[in-house]
Amino acid sequence: MPSNEAQDLARIKKTLKELLVADLSLEDIKPEEIRDDEVLFGEGLGLDSLDAVEIVVILQRKFGLEVKDLENRKDVFYSIDTLAKYIYENKKNIS
Amino acid sequence: MKILGIGIVFNRGRGIDSLEKALHEGWQAPAGVEIKGRKSFAYKVDQPTISDRTLLKNMRRADKLSKMAVVAASDALAGSGIKDLNRKRVGIITATALGAHVTTFDFLDDILEYGDAGVSPTTFSNSVHNAAGSYISSALGIEGPTLTVTQFFFAFHSALQLAQVWLHEDRCEYVLAGAVEQYGDVLGFVHDTKLTPAPDGRIRPFNLKPAYQVPGEGSVFFLLGNKKHDNTFCEIHNVSINADEKDMPQADLDIIDTDGLLEDETVYTRCVSSAVPAAAYAPLFGSMLSGSAFNCAAGALMMRKQKIYANPVTDNLHDLNIVMNTVPCNIELIRCIRYNCFNEKAAVYLRNARD
Repeated sequence: MPSNEAQDLARIKKTLKELLVADLSLEDIKPEEIRDDEVLFGEGLGLDSLDAVEIVVILQRKFGLEVKDLENRKDVFYSIDTLAKYIYENKKNIS
Repeated sequence: MKILGIGIVFNRGRGIDSLEKALHEGWQAPAGVEIKGRKSFAYKVDQPTISDRTLLKNMRRADKLSKMAVVAASDALAGSGIKDLNRKRVGIITATALGAHVTTFDFLDDILEYGDAGVSPTTFSNSVHNAAGSYISSALGIEGPTLTVTQFFFAFHSALQLAQVWLHEDRCEYVLAGAVEQYGDVLGFVHDTKLTPAPDGRIRPFNLKPAYQVPGEGSVFFLLGNKKHDNTFCEIHNVSINADEKDMPQADLDIIDTDGLLEDETVYTRCVSSAVPAAAYAPLFGSMLSGSAFNCAAGALMMRKQKIYANPVTDNLHDLNIVMNTVPCNIELIRCIRYNCFNEKAAVYLRNARD
């Protein structure tokens, strides 16, 4: 992995964690406590379907990405790792 | 109907003990706020006051308005000490003048900033008026009817009248009726530009004109029921809106809702008399369209304690008969009075509870 890609991904992950804690009002967790590979929904971080919609809003507002087919994009919403990868690849396509 | 429990959240704390402490301690300066570069004051509820991890564990998405209402409603229920309460037979009536206006403006700001497709669904769901009532129902497991009453000055009185009907018809065994209001930048701006802000943060309830105001926020809930219980505060003998009171007996104390929300409050001189001492406690919690609920809570506490609390601010421009000292007293009847901007009057009569 080229170093600038790794840096970009790390930056996206850090931003994502901060946004999740703030915008989803996660009260008992700090951004740095969320693991990159932690499952976001159900077990793991324990997010629910309304949080999924909020994440779609976050992607749109902060990264300019539109996720239309939410039901079939569960792979994207699996963890911070998968979300960051999706953002990185799609932002690259946009720019 | 009887007041069986009271829960309160305001700038001086949480719980009926905080209200009693505030009544004993008297006026304290409210927090400073800045409105478009101008310094002003507001009676705001601190975040730690409504931090209750156990009660609010499933309410992380709720806004401050709903959290204040849930905390107050929960305390009213707990304070009653009633153990075998059938939650299917408990109703909820939330009175609010401005409701979730802070969240509503957040939602509107989001539309302007991100477009209508980029707004948060959570912000939207919290912006509806019945959100606080729904959160109370969900957090406390109450399954009776839930309703929100919205009106500028008399929302709380309407809520009490509706509670009377529900109890009378036996639709409910108990009703949680209360009020909630939230402070926000827009409200602060309106207060600062359209009303007369108290220059030193001190509401002067007996100034009457000019009537100084300082916006407040908070929530009070009452558990109401027809049967007397051990912790009963008093009974609500009568609630009237714009009604003839000539058949009502003279009260031992008049609590007036003078808080600066009317430009001219001299209308209150119509109802107070030199024979009955007057009190006004808005300087303890701030100017709120639903402030009557807070004054009623103070009245109910006085009935229980059989004690009249000194006015927190005693500037007396019109030489009214006002309560100057906190004294034990035999109180049988307290009248709480609110006028609106059309000079209509609402009154709540609190009386010693009878079996």
